[in-house]
Amino acid sequence: MSDLESLRKRQAELTPDRVLSCLDRALSAWRDPGSKVREQLRAKHPVFSPEVVDLGCDLGLRQWTRASLDALRAREIPALYRAPTVTAVWLAGCVPTASFAAIVYPLLVGSAVYVKPSAADPVSPGLFRESLLDADPAVGEAVALGTDAEVLREADAVVVHGSDETVSELRARVPVDRIFIGYGHKVSISAIGQGIGIETAARDLGRDITLYDGRGCLSPAWVLVENTPSGRSLEFARALGKELARLASALPPGRLHAEEHAWVHDRRARATLREGTTLLSSDGTAWSVILEAVRAPCEPGMLRTVPVVPVATLDDLGEWCSRHAPHLSSVGHAGWGTRTAQLGEIVALCGASRLCGLGNMQVPPIDWNHDGLGPLSALIRRVDVETAQG
Amino acid sequence: MSRNALDRAVLEWISEGALAPPDRERFDRLALALFAYQYEHNLPYRRFCTALALDPGQVNSFREIPAVPTGAFKEARLATFSPDQELRTFRTSGSTTERRGALHLDTLELYEASLLSTFGTYVCPEGKPIRFVVLAPTQRSAPESSLSYMFGCAVERLGLPSSRFYLTEADSNPGELALDLDTLDEPIALVGTAFAFVHLLDFLREHAQRLFLPPGSRVMETGGLKGRVRELSREDLHESIAEWLGLPAERIVNQYGMCELGSQFYEPSLRTGRPTRTKQVPPWVRTRVVDPESLEDVATGETGILIHYDLTNTGSVLAVQTSDVGRLSPDGFEVLGRAPGAEARGCSIATDLLLGAP
Repeated sequence: MSDLESLRKRQAELTPDRVLSCLDRALSAWRDPGSKVREQLRAKHPVFSPEVVDLGCDLGLRQWTRASLDALRAREIPALYRAPTVTAVWLAGCVPTASFAAIVYPLLVGSAVYVKPSAADPVSPGLFRESLLDADPAVGEAVALGTDAEVLREADAVVVHGSDETVSELRARVPVDRIFIGYGHKVSISAIGQGIGIETAARDLGRDITLYDGRGCLSPAWVLVENTPSGRSLEFARALGKELARLASALPPGRLHAEEHAWVHDRRARATLREGTTLLSSDGTAWSVILEAVRAPCEPGMLRTVPVVPVATLDDLGEWCSRHAPHLSSVGHAGWGTRTAQLGEIVALCGASRLCGLGNMQVPPIDWNHDGLGPLSALIRRVDVETAQG
Repeated sequence: MSRNALDRAVLEWISEGALAPPDRERFDRLALALFAYQYEHNLPYRRFCTALALDPGQVNSFREIPAVPTGAFKEARLATFSPDQELRTFRTSGSTTERRGALHLDTLELYEASLLSTFGTYVCPEGKPIRFVVLAPTQRSAPESSLSYMFGCAVERLGLPSSRFYLTEADSNPGELALDLDTLDEPIALVGTAFAFVHLLDFLREHAQRLFLPPGSRVMETGGLKGRVRELSREDLHESIAEWLGLPAERIVNQYGMCELGSQFYEPSLRTGRPTRTKQVPPWVRTRVVDPESLEDVATGETGILIHYDLTNTGSVLAVQTSDVGRLSPDGFEVLGRAPGAEARGCSIATDLLLGAP
């Protein structure tokens, strides 16, 4: 029997109660630092250090409780709807909780799931499936892992995470009458106003950068700092450097590939070639803060190497964000006080789909509208029932 | 030393040939003099050295000369001369929306001397003119391509008049090429980019057309194999070339080079009669393999990233740090390719796409 046939059979057993109970038990295990699955993820994750894996699970899954899953279903699922029997999920990147969420959502609408793990993290989806099998084999069996691209043609719904090119290419393979959700290239920004203490902002931002080593689409690619009073951005860059140095021990980065080290050296070298740019960095490649002299285009940060860009006004910030409009995802903010609503309007116009507190960029809640789409409602088809005579 | 004196000293060394024995003392002497010159006349490079708190007074060996990563050539004009003295600019390949690295040249004398010496030694070791069949665009259609310039120079100085370029930027005709290759009656040097060979081999496979190049022929391929059309290993490429063009493996040479360097590196298989993955280093270049994090030397045989010190780069920067992973061997170095990049293991967007402008 093919994976897909098997999944279609298993789907019949996915009653809401059964799925919710299973997820509740599995997620409880994931929240427990001493559980077997957590231990395995710490040991096997190919990209992140055990400390980062632990913090990601502790913070990321904190709110993924039975109550919040119930609330999400209540918010997004109408009385009458049609759910996909099998949803194909093509994963990208290496953030474990992002893989978990991508499996949880189809299950919550009652769909079986075919998962193609990413090349960067083949571990997390498999371990999550194991946790489901432990909690309720019938639900665990409704999740299959594989790499068969034919599934894209056969599944009732397809969710693709990846580059814009990947999304575009895979979209072309999916029949037009199927549900297709593509999560393409995205980038996030931190925006720090003058109303927050420098040390506090550096501490919160440090967590956003070090959690997942700057590799995720929710990692701050640029840090925009309101440079009021003048020189504040330099003061902030120094504080951030100090915090990243501290976190290099407390939350050590994962092992870098040779080319990733080379990328850090390259990025630093290029910074020193720009007049007026200040570089603060570790001896090795653990972290770097690049304070740009002017609000000119510069490369995004990655791998705990982050550019800090001074801005004079909210309009400056908006102008920066507008450059990245098609790709803007989250904006982590702090210190804007009464101007926060105005900040929200500006970044929403630039395409941002999430504003969150600094320090919480990497831990979106389970009911997060990823790229503005309802996590469950995007997967189903509502059925309208209008009154009729007789 | 003046720039002219430096150029003359390097040219003199090149004239001794690519197979001259290495001379560490001579290399150090010239490299330190060149570093002092570049520190003084290449202002962005000086800024880079200053950030590392290094100046010529503190450097006693070529190994201590600060090496700029190749990305720096995208960021600043790394040249010891003013733009009005520029004779030629070679740019790295890339799309129009990408930032491209540039090597600015105010003389082509050293570039040509180095390339003719090494190209002649490793691709035309018989020392006789040969018919070139070039799978790359001409200089006219790709004026900023160092590869096209190199092939043009080789054809002009080492080739027979019957030599020909088969590609333009806009056009390739593998059918015509295959037909011409099938009717040859003299040995040729079939040279070109690795991807041009991939296209040719795809055509031959598709048409089940197996060729047998005349005895004495050789192939030289160069350039990356990742990210375009389809990926395959260098071993696979050479195997396919041997199979579909009827050449023994030792007649196929890989050249490793980059736009940012004036010199190139070759496998010596035509000279030794044995296929090898080792690239040989001419005496006017030194290559280090370093730990990618600490940039300290690794032991021979261990992998790391490659740093090249090329004395022909008199007008730019002699020390260039690559993103290529390799290892030293007793008679050169091997290139093992590139590890998956930072972007490959995350889900953030490609840098060049975000910057969106050249």
